[in-house]
This record gives sequence, structure tokens and C-alpha cells, in this order.
Amino acid sequence: MKFWLSFSLLLCLLVPAAVFAEDGRVTRILRSVDEQYALKTDAAASVVVTQQKVDQGTKVIGMQYYRRDADHNFLIVMTAPESDKGNGYLRVADNFWMYRRNTRTFQHISRDESIGGTDAHGEDFEDRKMIELYQPLTDAGGQELFSEEKLGQIPVIKFEVKAKVNDVDYPKKIYWVRRDNNLILKEEAYALSGSLMQTAYYLKFTQIDGRYVAVKMFFIDEFEKGNKTVVEISNIKTDKLSDAIFTKAYLENLSK
Amino acid sequence: MLLLLNLGLRNLLRQKRRNILLGSAMAIGVMLLVMANSFSHGLSDIMLNKVLRWVTGHVTVAFNERGRMMTEVFRDKAVFDFLKRDYSDSIREVEESIGMMARVVGHGNAENMILVGTDMSPAVSQRTQKETDEMWRVVGGRWQDLTNPRYENPVAISADKARSLNVKLFDTLRLRLRNLYGQDQSARVTVVAIITTSNIFMGSVMFGEVAEVKTILGFDEHSTGSINLVLKNPAKDAVQLANAIHDRLQPALAVIAGQAEANREKSPATVLGFNSDASFKAAWAQQISLVAGDFEKARLDKTALVAQPLARALGLSVGSAFTVRYTDKWGRPNALLAGKVGGIFRPEPQWGPGVILLQDDRFYESFYAHLPQAAAAAPGAFIPGKNHPAYALLAPEWVLLPRTSTTDEMTKKMREMGRRKYHATLIDVRTMYETAEQILKLEGVLNLITLSAVLVLFFIILIGVINTLRMTIRERTREIGTVRAIGMQSRDVRNLFIVETVLLAFFASVAGVLLALLVMWGLGSVPMNVEESNAMGMFLINSRLYFIPTWGSVFGNMVLIWVLAGVTAFFPARRAAKLAPGVALRHVE
Repeated sequence: MKFWLSFSLLLCLLVPAAVFAEDGRVTRILRSVDEQYALKTDAAASVVVTQQKVDQGTKVIGMQYYRRDADHNFLIVMTAPESDKGNGYLRVADNFWMYRRNTRTFQHISRDESIGGTDAHGEDFEDRKMIELYQPLTDAGGQELFSEEKLGQIPVIKFEVKAKVNDVDYPKKIYWVRRDNNLILKEEAYALSGSLMQTAYYLKFTQIDGRYVAVKMFFIDEFEKGNKTVVEISNIKTDKLSDAIFTKAYLENLSK
Repeated sequence: MLLLLNLGLRNLLRQKRRNILLGSAMAIGVMLLVMANSFSHGLSDIMLNKVLRWVTGHVTVAFNERGRMMTEVFRDKAVFDFLKRDYSDSIREVEESIGMMARVVGHGNAENMILVGTDMSPAVSQRTQKETDEMWRVVGGRWQDLTNPRYENPVAISADKARSLNVKLFDTLRLRLRNLYGQDQSARVTVVAIITTSNIFMGSVMFGEVAEVKTILGFDEHSTGSINLVLKNPAKDAVQLANAIHDRLQPALAVIAGQAEANREKSPATVLGFNSDASFKAAWAQQISLVAGDFEKARLDKTALVAQPLARALGLSVGSAFTVRYTDKWGRPNALLAGKVGGIFRPEPQWGPGVILLQDDRFYESFYAHLPQAAAAAPGAFIPGKNHPAYALLAPEWVLLPRTSTTDEMTKKMREMGRRKYHATLIDVRTMYETAEQILKLEGVLNLITLSAVLVLFFIILIGVINTLRMTIRERTREIGTVRAIGMQSRDVRNLFIVETVLLAFFASVAGVLLALLVMWGLGSVPMNVEESNAMGMFLINSRLYFIPTWGSVFGNMVLIWVLAGVTAFFPARRAAKLAPGVALRHVE
């Protein structure tokens, strides 16, 4: 599940957006998301991921997440399941380490590696701008393609984006965003072949420091039917985080 | 000597029962030794010729684009044309290693498999085709259909996987994988061949035609995956060849020469990547004289340092965006590099007026996406020579990792690779001695363990030989006296007993070898059902134990037994030879 990027985006989603007169509407929405994506404060949150896989049953993964975009740092400490408790992932500038509590060792890992046994990868946590990764699909005349419709009872704008760069998880996505405040409500992610791979629903939002933050998301694996993931975020804090948090020593101490 | 042989043979036959029992013990020892050597040799053969040969080759030229473990691609496969051209004496096959883990969904079940590209072109040698047929026997459909355009992405899968995925011939499967760039990719594939594999390691492989698999994985027509070299004589040539290839792969500087554009102005520009590793900060401070911006910020924000004359010509200031259009290696114009200005520097004395120094991660993003034509072909391009003071700080075409000779050294190198943040493509030239050193050592270790165990066994047997000889000598003391009295030399008496023992060892070892061949044939004929996850599977070929007796080792084992028997017999025989004829004749039991 590629919920991490979405989570990162939505953690900071503040509406409405700045206006860029020369851009099309979709581009403005993307810029709006990016505007909020650039974290102006530090952030900390508890995350619970409930993965249900057809052949593996249900697995609950808990983690504590600390993030500071000013210097591209983040820290993830696993809190569940018991076998992973105390393990962690620390990124400081260009360095990305995995910590194993059992062996008390830090190991350099690449951005390709899985985080905490989920489908998320290190690169999903990088603070990359959506406008740099995706661009709106346009018609022959260069006009952005979008439509106004309803998602349930909510008026939304539906638009399609394609990847500008190669190193994104999905080369094509379709979004449904609220017409009044650009909140993303639904997202479909497509493989290079054009097959629908995942549908995400952003079910619940809360307001923190004047920003809307998605606190419950539901991801449906469209490739292997029956696989689902629910992500729930709680205890969101935007207080300044101590420098000491983004250190190996902090992670080691937490795991003792 | 012939007389001694005759006498020795006659004497052996005089004590049939005793010698048969003693010979049987020796034969069992020989049998065990031959079987163990054949087994360990078979294991090496499995690893070398049935696993490594297919998985890594005997020499591998491995690539990791932009330092990423999963991006095993090199953008210009023509760079490696020299392998076939210049090393055909030692290289049997040059194969592209194209493969990726995939989640495969069948009818009601899903499995993890490895999608592998196999070369079906006529260029593949008959020997390789034969090896392929032996390794993967088709039990349904046809290999040739992997290139049949009637089918959508035709693939071959093992009978076991077909069963677990609940599919049959010409059924369609869906697969999901992350392509070269880490993007989600899915594809529908058609099962056109069902195969059985001779080795358990290969059971999870799904084969497709290499060109189609490359398309699914995101390779373009000029790119190659890691290159596996299958050698004619791997043990002799692997290291030497790897060293020679390594020497030929020294990189030049990566240079993009094109037309910079900003604010509707254009100017010729040369873009170089600057090494953004934090350890080079101080060195860069010596090489760049900034008039605006900040090096550290440019390094972290992945922006560019632009020479002042170029910045003036384009109206650039810190924070401005610019593009550079250039012609790619295959003559296609309008390849595009986009960047932002993080600093402006005075070019004098060592930089050209149109130089852009772009943070290496951002630089390589464009460089590898659209490999540029040779900068020398662009008039006015600034190409620093090797004596340029900042040469070592500039981005090379690729990073050539140092050669290593053992698995430990290679592991250390890989760890270092993970620690350092490489942005360039890494090229590593490895041999089977690095990728599978422990496995290759296994044969030697197994042989040593076997030899030690068999020597202990022989020690016990040879005590029996000594005891038997002592009994024989005692029984034949008067006979010794008689033959000595009629003129036989004491040396001949000694030799007679040695010849008897060596003859016994000879017949026992021949019997032992025959017995070993029989038992190995028997054991190799019994199918063993081993789960895929069971490590025991590595010892099996076609679900059977795999022995390779070699005449050299069989003969060596036999000679070892003869020498041991001869040496063991020497001392009792010498004692017999020293008996005075008179004393021996008077001997009464």
C-alpha cells in the first residue's frame, strides 16, 4: 500500500490553496497540495496499520512517526507487532538506517527497502513535491482534463495525472477532490500497463493548527482481490521536536 | 617380480575366507571414499554448472543505476560489445541477466515467482540450447511458443507452480512487479509451456522471451541488465578475465553539452555533475569562488552552480530555473535537463564561461534518462582533462567498484556501497569466487571431511591388516625358513608379503569402486520428494541424489589405498624377512 506518500501529503493538507493564475485548475490543485506538503512545523503521530491479506490473515502494525522537513529527517519506531517492537528507521539528511532491537545494530539501507513489513518503501517518506512528480493529463489542445461530479453526495473534481519522472510508485493516478476545499477523498493508482492497482479512500479528517489532516484511510488492493489496509493516525502533534529525536541514540534508548 | 606376483596371488588364494573378509572391509572403505568424493563433486557441479551458470554466470558485470540495488540497468549496452569481440577465446556465452520478483495471481491462488528473460534468438549456441533443454524439460506446450506472437506475453512455468496456481496450458495469469524504476507494473501472461526443472532452486522461475520481459520491466532498446559471462574454462579464466574487463571499464567524466535556455535567452553550456558527498565540501570550497548563493544549500537542495558569464547571458540569479537542451547518444535532439540556480561562480581560472555545475543526483537523473552524445562533438564544450584540479570532484560516467577476490571482501564492499550515497551507476565486476565462494569451497571441505573419516576407517582396517599379516607370518614361519633355505633372499621374502597385501588392496579397491558405482546408481535412481523450502533440495537433480565420479579422483583413491596397504605391510614383512632360516625351520606352533 502506498499510503505513506498520501499520508505525508495529507498530514499537512491545508485548504484553500494559493492561486497561480497562469496554471490550469488541476495544476493549481497539485500546487495547493504541495503548498501544504511543505511542512512548516515538525510533526509527530501514532500510526496503526491494519493489513488484511487473503493468504496471511490480519496483521496489525503500529508505529510512532516523527518528521521534520526542514532538514529532511524522519524517525519511525515500531510499536507493534510484538516481534517488531523497538525496531526503527531513521533518516538524517542523506543517510537512512534500519535499527534492529534484537541485535542492537544500525544498518544502512536504500530508499527501495520495505518499511516495517509493509508495502511502503523508504522513498515514500521523502518530502518530494507532487508537482515535480506528476502532471495533469491534457487534451490535444493542451487543456487539462478534469470533470466535476459527485462522490456520493459530495461535489468533487475528478482529474487524472501522469508521472513526470520515472521513480514514482504509480505512473498514473486519478483523484477525486472536494470542490470547496481541494481535500482528496479518493485516489486510484494505475500500473504502467494501465491496470488499476489500488484504490484509496480518505475517510476521516481532523483539524490541527487550522489544517485538515486525514486520520483514517482505507486502501483496497485491486490486483489481489481481498487484500485491504486501513491506516489510522492519532495523537498528531505539531510541536517543535528536539534535535535529539533524530539520532541513533534516541532510537536505541527508546528500544531498551 | 612376476614370480613374486604369482606367489602372492597363490598365497592370497590359500587363505580365501580370511582375505575375503579383510578385502571386504577395505572395499567398503574405498566405496565410501569414492561415493563421498563423487557426491561432493556432484554438488560442485550443481552449483557451478546448474545454478551459478544460470544465475550469475562465472563472471558477472553487475550494474546498479544511481546506486539503487533494484535498478540493475546500464543504459548503453554497446559499451560491452568488446566482451564478445575481444574475449571469445575464454567466453562461451554473454547473457543478459533480466529478472524481477513478481506476485503472480492464478485461478484462486497467488504465488511469488521470479520473472526471467530467456534469449530465444538464433544467436544462442546449440550447447546452451541443449543445456536449457536438460535443465528445464518441457512436459506440456513448447519452448518455441515463447516467441509466438499469437499469445499475449507467453511464459513457461514449472509444473509445481502451475498446480499451485491452478492453471493449465494456455491459461492466462496476472502478475504484478516493481519495474526498473520502482514503479508498479502489471501484465497478463499466457502459459505456453509447462516445464519440470532438474534443480529445486529453479522451481520459482517464470520464463519469458527476453525482449518482452525487458519491455515489461521498463528497459529500452539500448539498455542492458547485468551481464553474465559463461566461460569455457571457468576455474582457469574467471579471475584473469574479470581483472581484464575491470581494467577496460575505467570511466570518463560525464558531460552534457547543449544549449541552455532561460528568460527566452539561449547560450551554449556544458553541464557537469558536482560530487555532493559531504566529505567533499572543503575540497569544493577551494575550487569554486561564489559571487552569489551558497554551496551547502545548493548541495542539499540539488541545485546548480552557474558560471557568471552564462548567468549574465541568460539573466539568471539564485533561485532562477533554466533548461539545457542537448542531443542524445543516438542522435535524437531535444533531450532536456531542467534545474534551478543555487549559486553563481566566477569561472576564472579553471572553469569555462558556459559551465553549469549541477548537484550530482539531479545531474544523473537527466544524464541516464537521456545519455548525451560525446561532448567532444559539441563545439565549444568545456571538457576538463585529468589534470584539472577539480577532476576528482566531478561526476564520472559511472563508478567502477574495486575488484575483490572473496565473498567477505565483496560483502564489505557492498556494505560500504550502502553507506556511501552513490548517485552514479555502479559497475561491479565479480567472479563466482566472490558470489559463491563458500559454495565452491564446499567441495574441498566435504572432500577433506570424507577423507578424514575414511582415513580413520582405514586405520582401523589396517590394524586388521597388520594383525592378519602377523598371524600369516606366524603360520608360515617354517615356510619362510624353507624358502630362505633354498635360496630366496630376505628382500624377496619382505617383498612377497608386501605384494600379497597390495594385491589384496588392489582387488578390494576395484571391488570397492564397482560397489560404489552400483550403490550410486541405485541411490541416484530413487526419486526423493523434497519440499521447495527444504535446503536438502540443493543436493538433488531431478529429485534424485546427484553423483559425479571422476576417473582422476577414483584412481587417486585407489592409489591412496594401495600405498597405505603397502606401507602398513612393510614392517611386519620386514620382520618376517629378518628371520634366520634355521630358526624359522625349527619353529613349532
